Amino acid sequence: MKKVMVGNHAVAWGARLARVEVISAYPITPQTQVVEKLSEMCADGTLPARFIKVESEHSAMAAVIGASATGVRAFTASSSHGLLYMHEMLHWAAGARLPIVMADVNRAIGPGWNIWTDQNDSLSQRDTGWVQLYCETNQEVLDTTIMAFKLAESLNVPVMLTLDGFYLSHTAEPVEVPDQELVDRFLPKREASYKLDVDEPHAFGALVKPDAYMEMRWLQQEALQKVPAALDAIERDWRRMFGRSYGALEAYRAADAELLLVTSGTVTSTARAVVDARRAAGERIGLLKVKMFRPFPTALVREALRGVPRAAVLDRNISPGHGGIFAEELRSALYDLPDGERPELFGFVLGLGGRDITPAVIEDVIEQTRAGLRPTREDLWVGVNP
Amino acid sequence: MPEPITTTGGARAIPQVAMSSTSTLPTHTGTWKYQVPAYHDRVAPCNARCPVGIDIEGYMNLLRLGRVEDARDLLLTENPLPAVTGRVCHHPCENACNRRTLDGAVAIHAVERMLGDLAHQHPAPTFRATPLAERVAVVGSGPAGLACAYHLARLGYGVTIFEAAAEPGGMLRLGIPAYRLPRDVLDRDIARVAAHGVEIRCGVRVGSDVAWAELTATFDAVCVSTGAHTSRALGVPGEELPGVRPGLAFLRDVNAGRRPDLGRHVVVVGGGNTAMDCARSALRLGAKVTVAYRRTREQMPAIKEEIEDAMREGAEFVFLANPVEFTARDGHVQAMVCERMALGEPDASGRRRPMPTGETFTLAADTVLTAIGESSALTQFFADVEGSDAGLRVDALGGTTRDLLYAGGDVTDLERTVADALGAGKRAAIGIDRHLRHHKGDTAELNALRFAQGNLSAARWMGRDPIVRTAPVNEVVTADDVNFTQFRRRPRHADPHLPSAAAVQGFDEVNAGLPEALAMDEARRCLNCGVCTECDVCLIFCPDAAISRAEGGAYVIAMDYCKGCGICAAECPRGAITMSQDRP
Amino acid sequence: MSQLRINDLIPDNRLVTSGHLACPGCAAPLGMKLALNALGPNTIVVMPASCFTIIAGPWPQSSLQVPVFHTAFATGPAVASGVRAALDMQGQHDTNVLVWVGDGGTFDIGLQSLSGAAERNENMIYVCYDNEAYMNTGIQRSSATPWGAWTTTTPAQFPEASPKKDMLGIMVAHGIPYAATATPAYPADLVAKITKAKAMHGMRFIHLLSPCPPGWKCGDDEGLELARMAVQNRVFPMLEVEHGTRWRLTMEHAGDPVEPYLRRQGRFRHLSAEQVTHIQAQIDVRWQQLMRRMEAEALASV
Repeated sequence: MKKVMVGNHAVAWGARLARVEVISAYPITPQTQVVEKLSEMCADGTLPARFIKVESEHSAMAAVIGASATGVRAFTASSSHGLLYMHEMLHWAAGARLPIVMADVNRAIGPGWNIWTDQNDSLSQRDTGWVQLYCETNQEVLDTTIMAFKLAESLNVPVMLTLDGFYLSHTAEPVEVPDQELVDRFLPKREASYKLDVDEPHAFGALVKPDAYMEMRWLQQEALQKVPAALDAIERDWRRMFGRSYGALEAYRAADAELLLVTSGTVTSTARAVVDARRAAGERIGLLKVKMFRPFPTALVREALRGVPRAAVLDRNISPGHGGIFAEELRSALYDLPDGERPELFGFVLGLGGRDITPAVIEDVIEQTRAGLRPTREDLWVGVNP
Repeated sequence: MPEPITTTGGARAIPQVAMSSTSTLPTHTGTWKYQVPAYHDRVAPCNARCPVGIDIEGYMNLLRLGRVEDARDLLLTENPLPAVTGRVCHHPCENACNRRTLDGAVAIHAVERMLGDLAHQHPAPTFRATPLAERVAVVGSGPAGLACAYHLARLGYGVTIFEAAAEPGGMLRLGIPAYRLPRDVLDRDIARVAAHGVEIRCGVRVGSDVAWAELTATFDAVCVSTGAHTSRALGVPGEELPGVRPGLAFLRDVNAGRRPDLGRHVVVVGGGNTAMDCARSALRLGAKVTVAYRRTREQMPAIKEEIEDAMREGAEFVFLANPVEFTARDGHVQAMVCERMALGEPDASGRRRPMPTGETFTLAADTVLTAIGESSALTQFFADVEGSDAGLRVDALGGTTRDLLYAGGDVTDLERTVADALGAGKRAAIGIDRHLRHHKGDTAELNALRFAQGNLSAARWMGRDPIVRTAPVNEVVTADDVNFTQFRRRPRHADPHLPSAAAVQGFDEVNAGLPEALAMDEARRCLNCGVCTECDVCLIFCPDAAISRAEGGAYVIAMDYCKGCGICAAECPRGAITMSQDRP
Repeated sequence: MSQLRINDLIPDNRLVTSGHLACPGCAAPLGMKLALNALGPNTIVVMPASCFTIIAGPWPQSSLQVPVFHTAFATGPAVASGVRAALDMQGQHDTNVLVWVGDGGTFDIGLQSLSGAAERNENMIYVCYDNEAYMNTGIQRSSATPWGAWTTTTPAQFPEASPKKDMLGIMVAHGIPYAATATPAYPADLVAKITKAKAMHGMRFIHLLSPCPPGWKCGDDEGLELARMAVQNRVFPMLEVEHGTRWRLTMEHAGDPVEPYLRRQGRFRHLSAEQVTHIQAQIDVRWQQLMRRMEAEALASV
């Protein structure tokens, strides 16, 4: 069944098809429609879940932690300051190894107040132990929401999927809504490997001394390291059943490219059009879409960029005092490539606070990348008028 | 699970989440403590203060458990006359009762009376040890003599009591009026003594009917308990006038059933129990009675209830009045002249001494009954036995300075109460037993038979104390040791009395005693000071869950976990847990 | 027997085990013991940061023999809401959810999440065990610290300058089904309240005065007696309030003077006679307010 829906509704549909049992969320622009849609679904009985309408995002994350710890499938969604307010509990969810899924509608952070998109909200949560998956289309949002649960529950790691505020959240696209029966086959009811259970009482999260804390973190790291392979297997299942898949990375017209644009989120779609135009003009320009930011798919990134002469990373985010965050992560991943195989990497900071990234902006990025031998600085700001 | 890289080198199974797999029992927090609790039964103040040496707390505890017959038997182990003392004892136990500070002392006398009366209806099995060859003579059948004979008989001795009067009982019969102690009650308590094999020979006055020397020759030991029957003289002009007579002689007349003519106005001089008995008996003979006492009401030695009853029944009291002269009309006393006194500094008894003011006043009197104390008249036989005006001197076991001559009761220089006499009789019995069983010398070991500094326990002397105590410590529990918050307020039951107007019409018993149900209720008011009743307070309050019920009763403290906080000891309702620095 | 019977209320189940890490004389594990005795093993405990994080025992141990979820400071009621929802989704409607929180986690950092859960009338029993300061971190003042008290952040020269927050009043204002004060020093009263709460549905709030010997600077064995003094002198009246309107004192309060209570605790040692008088006056005013409120509510309900 195909429906035209905004990205926020794609999130809600994903959660509904995943048969989430407990939802807790707090409204924030531009995530609000997720809350509204899920409320409707719970109210009309199409989604038989408990929706806890808490008084803050901190409590929203806490509530889904409680629910997930009690063995059910739990979901939340937030954005921007809401996500930041959850920060403490994001760590808790990950440390407690709870397979929670949340959607973050990427939005810039104040002050000044800004409701438009950039990725600083989710990227500043990169060390919380959550898997982060950046989506490009509403279809991908819906599909990823469902797959995220499968991924989370297979490794006991929480998964955050993100979608750009307004560009996806409020933009309607035709979306294929998978058949519930098939989704149920793909994602059966959660079987928690441990939970709060009065018949088998355990305490969770007590004081752990230095003699064991590291081992628990090591095990968490091991689980996260398994995520790329696990997602790959899940996506293959998804493709088999629904005919679509996305990949942790997607190389688009990248074969023999002299220059690869590296993107995430909706910029990817704009960049695809620019790449198509350039290819039509005979230029060896391709695209690498990074969907999975955490765990960072280092091996895949190295393989995709090995021997490519130049890469231009489009970062709709900034780590103040350093640079674009994807660019920095890529530099780190590519460091171990031997000289000659390591691309010259240009890191562009652009589109912050919802500033439009038009094809012309991407053309400018391409030209800047081609212009010099190497970047003049790690953070090349695009379109800034100081 | 993948093999973790550990810095500790062990291959411990560490789960992916901090999920517990055990309780905290492997952690022995008991190592933290610097003080240690222990269950130690201590001494209830009633027990310590009972002149008889009754395990009051013990029988209260048995009653709490519904073991009424065991309670009766425990009482009878120490006290041969519980129906008597339940009525006439001055009950210092109640003055000592820690419950006073909460809502009034337990009415111990009422419980004792209930058990004493119960023992009349349902007599306890008579106990006698294996009969012994030795025979003991007891002279005088008052409470001291009866107690001595009773305990000796239970120890297995042959005992004969010599009583000068026609009936046994001594001052219980001659001095105490029937409205306080009905004669059938007295008779039944004395019958129990006789039932133990004690021979009571009445109408035999030793010294005239039988020679003292004959007794010492015939018996292996002699106990003297002849009492004090001589009223002390006032030593003021006019004392010899007709109408002025010793109160004791008056009581003896009344108690023998005579009804002497007293005239209209009777003045009783004195503030003790004899004075109260005189006053109330005189009221019953139709007189208008005035009690003159040289100190104030607070200082009267009489039992408080007796004073109250005398007042209720219509006796007038004139305090701070000291007789200085009796005046006569027609050769018969007609008035008592008193000097007004004022209280000065405390005297040897601790009471404030009455000081003369010089002011006098007059009380009309057709009869004056003097009751300012009694003394004993001892024959030549006692010339070389140490003593004083106050009586014979005896050691801790009733021994006089003459070998195998023991004494107890008012004939000695000790306290003159029924309870003290019963206690002295018991001590003399133990003294005689100890002597005849060839134990002499230091009596320090006897302290183990006492409730703190109290009287000796016959049960303990006989080695058959039925009450098992936990690591006993022979010290008294004070009110500070009791945790009153663990008790709800429940005021003491008052004894029902005959209406005064009816009471003074005759010699029927005035204090009807508590009905059994209420007496049992009083027993349940007992705090059981110092004795673990397994009430679970320690178990409930221990913050470390270190206390549990032991098999076969009581509790066990898991020292591996007790942190020595002392809450069990502080919260124990009755001071039965002690903290100490000693390691267990 | 005139002794107050409490053992009838104490079943044999030992849901709090020895070897827990409470300081000697701490009343908190006693409160937990009594609460769990009343609730039974069909209970899940949610436990934000507090002294009890330590008392509950380090991994892999647990001093509580019911499921426990340790969580971050501010989140007790929120996590419990999630646990409750998950239980309900699994049909476990009769499982008790007990949120066990200190005064800091209740009065201060967790107040928002508590208010949220109370306003939503979440079906849980919330116990605030109040030792009147941040004891686990070493005795710092919280908004539960009484006026005049010494703590390490309110030194004796500048002792606590604000009165203790009226937590019960705040909870009552939410109109929750049940709000009560209690203390482990009166176990029968505490157990009765937990038992009553257990039979009810929705947010049930119990404010437990829980003496802390190191923080109050009293003897290890004195805490419970001090708690009883605090009740009897009306510093901490024993109350229960149903549905925000039905107020009831659950025992008699003698109205003893406050001074002996203050003088026995090192944290009040510095107080002058005038300050003690001030505290007494405040207690009297609060008591009168309470009496007036109870009268007004009683009249309104007629």
